[in-house]
Amino acid sequence: MSTKTPQYAAARLTQALASDPRTAELGVRVQLRGEHVYLVGEVASEERRRHLTEVVHELAPELTVHNEVGVVECREPSTAEELD
Amino acid sequence: MIRIAAVGDVHLGEDARGRLRPALEHLRDHADLLLLAGDLTKHGTLAEARVVAEEFADLPVPVVAVLGNHDHHADVPEEIAGLLTEHGIRVLEGDSTVVQLDGAAVGVAGVKGFGGGFAGKCGSAFGEPEMKAFVRHTEEVAGRLRDALDRIDAPARIALTHYSPVTDTLRGEPLEIYPFLGSYLLAEAIDEGGADLAVHGHAHFGTEHGTTPGGVRVRNVAQPVIRCAYKVYNLHGHDGSEAQPA
Ligand SMILES: [Fe+2]
Ligand SMILES: [Fe+2]
Repeated sequence: MSTKTPQYAAARLTQALASDPRTAELGVRVQLRGEHVYLVGEVASEERRRHLTEVVHELAPELTVHNEVGVVECREPSTAEELD
Repeated sequence: MIRIAAVGDVHLGEDARGRLRPALEHLRDHADLLLLAGDLTKHGTLAEARVVAEEFADLPVPVVAVLGNHDHHADVPEEIAGLLTEHGIRVLEGDSTVVQLDGAAVGVAGVKGFGGGFAGKCGSAFGEPEMKAFVRHTEEVAGRLRDALDRIDAPARIALTHYSPVTDTLRGEPLEIYPFLGSYLLAEAIDEGGADLAVHGHAHFGTEHGTTPGGVRVRNVAQPVIRCAYKVYNLHGHDGSEAQPA
C-alpha cells in the first residue's frame, strides 16, 4: 500500500478494520506518523486485539504497527450513581 | 429506589464467550433490572447472538435490550431478537415493557435509534432520495420512541437506545462523525415522552454523563466508556417509599 498520501492511507486502514470480518471494528482509531501506524481504542478480547495488527500488517507491510488497543475491562462495578 | 444496571457494546462472539458471566454472578446484590444498549454482537450473526443469549440467560433480574448497528450487519435482526426473546431477554424496537419490582414498577421504552446529527448541525429530508430516506428513518424511529414512552403506565420511565440523543455523551469522539452517532430527534422524543433516565451506547470514545435539553439525565454505557461489566444507577423517588418532590 502506498503511504505517499497519509490521509488516504489512514482512511484505507480504518475502512479495512471495519470491513475485514476478522476485525469488524469501527471503534479503533488509526494514526499514521511516517512509517509508523498507531492503533488506539478498546476491543472485547485479546484475539481481536491481535487481529488488528494482522489486518493492518497485511495491507501495509512497510509500516511498523504500534497496537495500543486495550481489552475492555469486565469487572463488577464497585459503586452506583445516585439519581435523585 | 429502583436500581438499574446497564451496559452496551459488549460486542460478543465465539471468541468472547463467557466474558461477562463472572461479573453477573452477584447482579441481584446490585440491581433490579439489566439494560443492554445494543451492539451485543460484532457481526450481527445468529452464532454470535447465541453467545449473547447464553451470556444473559437465567439472570436473577429481568433483562431488557435494544439492538445496535452491529446487530444489523448480517441482515438478520428479527432472528436475533427472536433468539434473545427465547432466552428470556425482552428486546424492544419501538415498544415498551413494564418491569414490576417489589413495591415499584419501571417502564422501559426502546429503539435502536439512528444518526442524522444534532440541532442546527444536522441533515434534512431534502434533495436526493437517499438523503431523505436517511433523515426520515430517524424521524420515524424517534416518533416510535416518543409514542412508546407515552404509553408507559408506570411511575418511572427509561428510554433505552443504541444511538445517542445528545452530544454531551459524545465528547471524546471526533466532531466530524457526530451525525453518525446520534440525533437530537431522539432527545426531543425523550423530553416529550417524559423519561426519568435515558441510556445509550454506540459512542465507544464518548463520555458517560449528559443531559437532554429538557433536563433528562443521559448515560452512555458503551463498555469501552464505563470500563466495567455494567454501571448501576439508583433512581430515587419513584417507588412511593420516599417523599415525591412537590
Ligand atoms: Fe459498538
Ligand atoms: Fe454501534
